[in-house]
Amino acid sequence: MHTQTSSSEAAAQGMPTPEFNLDWPGTLLFSPYLALKGHKLNKFALSLRIPANRQVYLRDEVAYMKTYGISEGDIALVLARDWSRLLLSGGHLQAISKIAAAVGQNLWHIGAHNAGVDVEVLKASCPRKVSGLPKEFE
Amino acid sequence: MAQIIAGIGIAHTPSMGMEYDKGLAHGFDPRWGIWYEGTRPVRQWLEDLRPTQLVVVYNDHLNHFDFDAYPTLAIGVADEFEQADEGWGKRPLPDLRGDPGFAIPLVEHLVRQSEVDLTICQTLKLDHGVYSWFPYLVDIPWNIPVTPIAVNMVRQPLPTSQRLARLGRQIRAAVEANDADERVVVIATGGMSHQISGARFGISNQEFDRRFLKALPRNMDKLVAMPQEEYMRYGGTEASELSLWFAMRAALSEQAQAVYDFYTSPQITGCGVLTMIEPEFADNTVQGA
Repeated sequence: MHTQTSSSEAAAQGMPTPEFNLDWPGTLLFSPYLALKGHKLNKFALSLRIPANRQVYLRDEVAYMKTYGISEGDIALVLARDWSRLLLSGGHLQAISKIAAAVGQNLWHIGAHNAGVDVEVLKASCPRKVSGLPKEFE
Repeated sequence: MAQIIAGIGIAHTPSMGMEYDKGLAHGFDPRWGIWYEGTRPVRQWLEDLRPTQLVVVYNDHLNHFDFDAYPTLAIGVADEFEQADEGWGKRPLPDLRGDPGFAIPLVEHLVRQSEVDLTICQTLKLDHGVYSWFPYLVDIPWNIPVTPIAVNMVRQPLPTSQRLARLGRQIRAAVEANDADERVVVIATGGMSHQISGARFGISNQEFDRRFLKALPRNMDKLVAMPQEEYMRYGGTEASELSLWFAMRAALSEQAQAVYDFYTSPQITGCGVLTMIEPEFADNTVQGA
């Protein structure tokens, strides 16, 4: 049923095989409560879809974020590039990735931060193969 | 009468698009060259089928919509659809063509006859949900018009698998109600197993993906009945996007034939493609490799 064989590739890199549960820190489901909690943060992040806004932001990150009314705590998390805690603050991955893009990072940096490893280790470990099937597939 | 002649299910991922650009310019990274080669027969099928319209069921990734208003189901009705800037700048690709002459009666039927509560978008920027795989399947210039249908896959509650299967049947009814002589291909796209946040980043359940590809043509009901949470558990949170594929399968008849499927897992996202053709159109084409 829930049998899971560990991936030799992932193990070689020292990364654990992902488990079949949906709990943090493995997974964070973007609930309506998180969506409301992160509304201003996401609005700021999504404003960076416009190239001109990215330039204004990079000139003075704090001043730009303040115009979106996001909390001091969230501002500090952005400045620290603390992608994991930004997700817990209600930032949606697809919004947080716009902040990462503006500061010269990408999905790998967010994923590596989430998984607690270096980007290169994560890259070398992906795809992180798992085996195990729901009963419908057996 | 307008007819649905075929359906395609295909994965999408940002890197699929970026690797296409790099691949054409400098040669493909071996992992992505496998995907490029694997999509050649689909490109050929599509060319041979000579569709006049593509209906594309996809999901936006906060590149057009935002949380001020997040539609569960939205449809684009416009002369053209621009590529969205996902934060890293746009790729060097043209806009996609729309055809309001086809989309207007389609929407009319969906809303008035099938009572689908659609958000109608006269501007709809398309992200990698469409742009990542589109160049693999259609050569530039992109002359075939596209009607995009965007499904919420970012904010819970997500529409159910049953809803997406019903959407497929509703698309079929709306196409068949159209008197124009159109050859329509329905394409549904969603990443296969993948997760791009949390410590499970990079999870790849390749047997799960392969079984989905093999089961969809003849056993969709079983796949629809499996809760989306199970897709997330076994295939990563974004594997819930597989439910979009049900709209493609359900838009076709029971008799539609699977003529080609292919699967590889280059990096983060399981990349699969499935081509199905209605029997009366299968003979009109030259089969690909």
